[in-house]
Amino acid sequence: MTLLKREDWYDLTRATNWTPKYVSEDELFPEEMSGARGIPMEKWETYDEPYKVTYPEYVSTQREKDAGAYSVKAALERSRFLDNADPGWISTMQAHYGAIALAEYAASTAEARMCRFSKAPGNRNMATFGMLDEVRHGQAQLYFPHSYTRRNRQWDWAHKALHTNEWGAIAARHFFDDMMMTRDAIGVSIMLTFAFETGFTNMQFLGLAADAAEVGDHTFASLISSIQTDESRHAQQGGPALKILIENGKKKDAQQMVDVAFWRAWKLFSVLTGPIMDYYTPLEGRKLSFKEFMLEWIVAQFERQILDLGLDRPWYWDEFMRALDETHHGMHLGVWYWRPTVWWNPSAGVTPEERDWLEEKYPGWNDTWGQCWDVIIDNLKNGKPELTGPETLPVVCNMSNIPIVGTPGNGWNVKDYQLEHEGRLYHFGSEPDRWCFQVDPERYKGHLNFIDRFLAGHVQPPDLMGGLKYMGLAPGEMGDDAHNYEWMSKYAKAAS
Amino acid sequence: MTEAPEPLKPLKTWSHLAANRRRPSEYEIVSTNLHYSTDNPDAPWELDPNLHMQKWYRKYRNESTLKHEDWNAFRDPHAQVYRTYNLLQDGQEQHVKSLLDQFSDRGHDQLLDAGWFDVLLKLYTPSRYAFHALQMGSAYVAQMAPSSTITNCATFQTGDCLRWLSHTAYRTRELSMASPATGFGEKERQIWENDPVWQGFRELLEKTLVAWDWGEAFAALNLVAKPAVEEALLEQLGKSARANDDTLLGLITQAQMQDAKRHRDWAAALVKMALTVDGNKAVLKGHIDKYMPLAQKAVEAYASALPGLDNAAEEALAGVRTFHNALDLA
Ligand SMILES: [Fe+2]
Ligand SMILES: [Fe+2]
Repeated sequence: MTLLKREDWYDLTRATNWTPKYVSEDELFPEEMSGARGIPMEKWETYDEPYKVTYPEYVSTQREKDAGAYSVKAALERSRFLDNADPGWISTMQAHYGAIALAEYAASTAEARMCRFSKAPGNRNMATFGMLDEVRHGQAQLYFPHSYTRRNRQWDWAHKALHTNEWGAIAARHFFDDMMMTRDAIGVSIMLTFAFETGFTNMQFLGLAADAAEVGDHTFASLISSIQTDESRHAQQGGPALKILIENGKKKDAQQMVDVAFWRAWKLFSVLTGPIMDYYTPLEGRKLSFKEFMLEWIVAQFERQILDLGLDRPWYWDEFMRALDETHHGMHLGVWYWRPTVWWNPSAGVTPEERDWLEEKYPGWNDTWGQCWDVIIDNLKNGKPELTGPETLPVVCNMSNIPIVGTPGNGWNVKDYQLEHEGRLYHFGSEPDRWCFQVDPERYKGHLNFIDRFLAGHVQPPDLMGGLKYMGLAPGEMGDDAHNYEWMSKYAKAAS
Repeated sequence: MTEAPEPLKPLKTWSHLAANRRRPSEYEIVSTNLHYSTDNPDAPWELDPNLHMQKWYRKYRNESTLKHEDWNAFRDPHAQVYRTYNLLQDGQEQHVKSLLDQFSDRGHDQLLDAGWFDVLLKLYTPSRYAFHALQMGSAYVAQMAPSSTITNCATFQTGDCLRWLSHTAYRTRELSMASPATGFGEKERQIWENDPVWQGFRELLEKTLVAWDWGEAFAALNLVAKPAVEEALLEQLGKSARANDDTLLGLITQAQMQDAKRHRDWAAALVKMALTVDGNKAVLKGHIDKYMPLAQKAVEAYASALPGLDNAAEEALAGVRTFHNALDLA
């Protein structure tokens, strides 16, 4: 065997910058697409991706990974896991696939942005693998749920969700489009790969995989942990770009991109992942609480990476740490209350045992969130289920596009952060949400959130039914309590 | 109050495929209608409608001169999905790896003629720039295509171009070890930027890379620039290599041509689909007419420098034309 080692020829694969002659450099790399921020081409050539992989290594490794994930699926198909799975776990998968599958596929376009427009040759090659990776993630996360479409129409939303104006889909698109689809190549490398993928995909793909393994869903666990191995590779595209920005006096730009993307990712996860981990996943399957996962994956690891690279903690770090105890509980309450407006069946997750767990993980839960649930439980007990569902619309944040929540009950702190900009009044769920708008109003100012559309007459008839129609939700798709309120029997017994 | 409608019944597949009579294939299940950004033509992205990237996608994708009501109906003739792409290309790479291994064991490069090293430095190893330009161009088509089935073809094509570039890089290092004095791995940029044999390709590729309209980008890249590069740098260079005892290069270019054939298959299928709409023929012909003179110049400058061949430029251009003739664009 006389084959060259990777390091013998790797550098030549990324010695690919040339000086254009028949078009100008600015034409070849338009600033709005490339985002070089005035840093010259030679500086970008120092970009050194820490995770190096060659084309032959890539296709070989990826072939094996797919063989693994698909064969686990095939082998476990007959175990009929889903027939006996807790409805809360089914909701977890439905929420996950609907919010994630097409967004992953869209990330392939963001990778393609770097591949075509980054001035860093190493970035362009790594993004080529990234493009392929995200096609993988989109395709696998469609293939797996597709086998369930015969069970229930909600599974259709694995493909359908992001094509609709369902409020969560609007929120997801607003976030992903802001972070990855409408940014220049360097913006993508910082906001998508560094700020989002480095921290948050670990939460969704490893945290959730740990829960999946606990509840016995080995198909899902092996799929998403396999996906994460790709994420942890292509997430490393942002670091070297950050380094170049900082070395060339662009730390402020870099810091701002990180701060915006990080906060926005946190808000999306507070509504998607928080409820899944702390309420939908059956109690015995909860490996760690959402907050504990966040502390492990985000605070411990990501914070260190930010500091190692020479950036600062985001200015809102204290507020973020505080919100870890709070935001997702409000999101969960809101999603359960407005359950017809989502494509899965939210699991209430508030049996006495679950409340003990919540109180242990989030001291004070019973005094705050618990009080709201007490009212809901009383209404259900007294045969007034109509009082446990929506009649009015929530106030929705013009940044996160999710309802504005705060701590209720004895810890009441719900607040609408307002801003008037060019004659329009905007509402935000927090100071950092408002700040994201203020640093770049042109990106957001003309966007209408669900409530803005409702008030503008886009939703007809202007009532709940019209709203559901606008969101693409019909009976058979719209959510209801995951356990069909059976969990209430524990309270009925306690009362009698 | 009206009666609550009947709950929707579960379906055997995605609702958007349910009307088809055929059971959907794995390819269709995982490849069709994946771009949500084509749903609202006025605002591709869920942000302020006047943002730069909204305008870019409205102008260069939604308002492209290449038109079709339903680009989502496009199907890759090879029905390639990510899983099968890796199966195929891992097999292909095993093949190339065994070529590299065997030829190296036999001391292939030590048996090459000294003059041939100079030819390779001038005409072969700078190809990494050309292949990389094709990689970048493919990534542009991938991010701008109006349907996911088109995007996927362009995405796999991007990977294949990186594959070709990788072969060149690998061989460049081997050649620099066999002939340290020639300048392999050092002089390619300078040659690519200055040697007259490359300037035609450089101009063609630089101009192809700034074709922003997605239809024009597709035509410039997949109908003109890429076929021209393939005919000259794979077919004719391969032939020249075989004529000069560089069997290895001849075999590598042959392996690469397999990818090129697949790319031409999807490009031809897309043209065929486009031609069902009035006006598209003129649009596509217009793009080809715009870039073909550059391709002709490029191929002539490059291929006539290939040693050991009589009609390399003519043959290369004939190869491009044969592809065009099969597209029914006349
Ligand atoms: Fe991904
Ligand atoms: Fe990713």
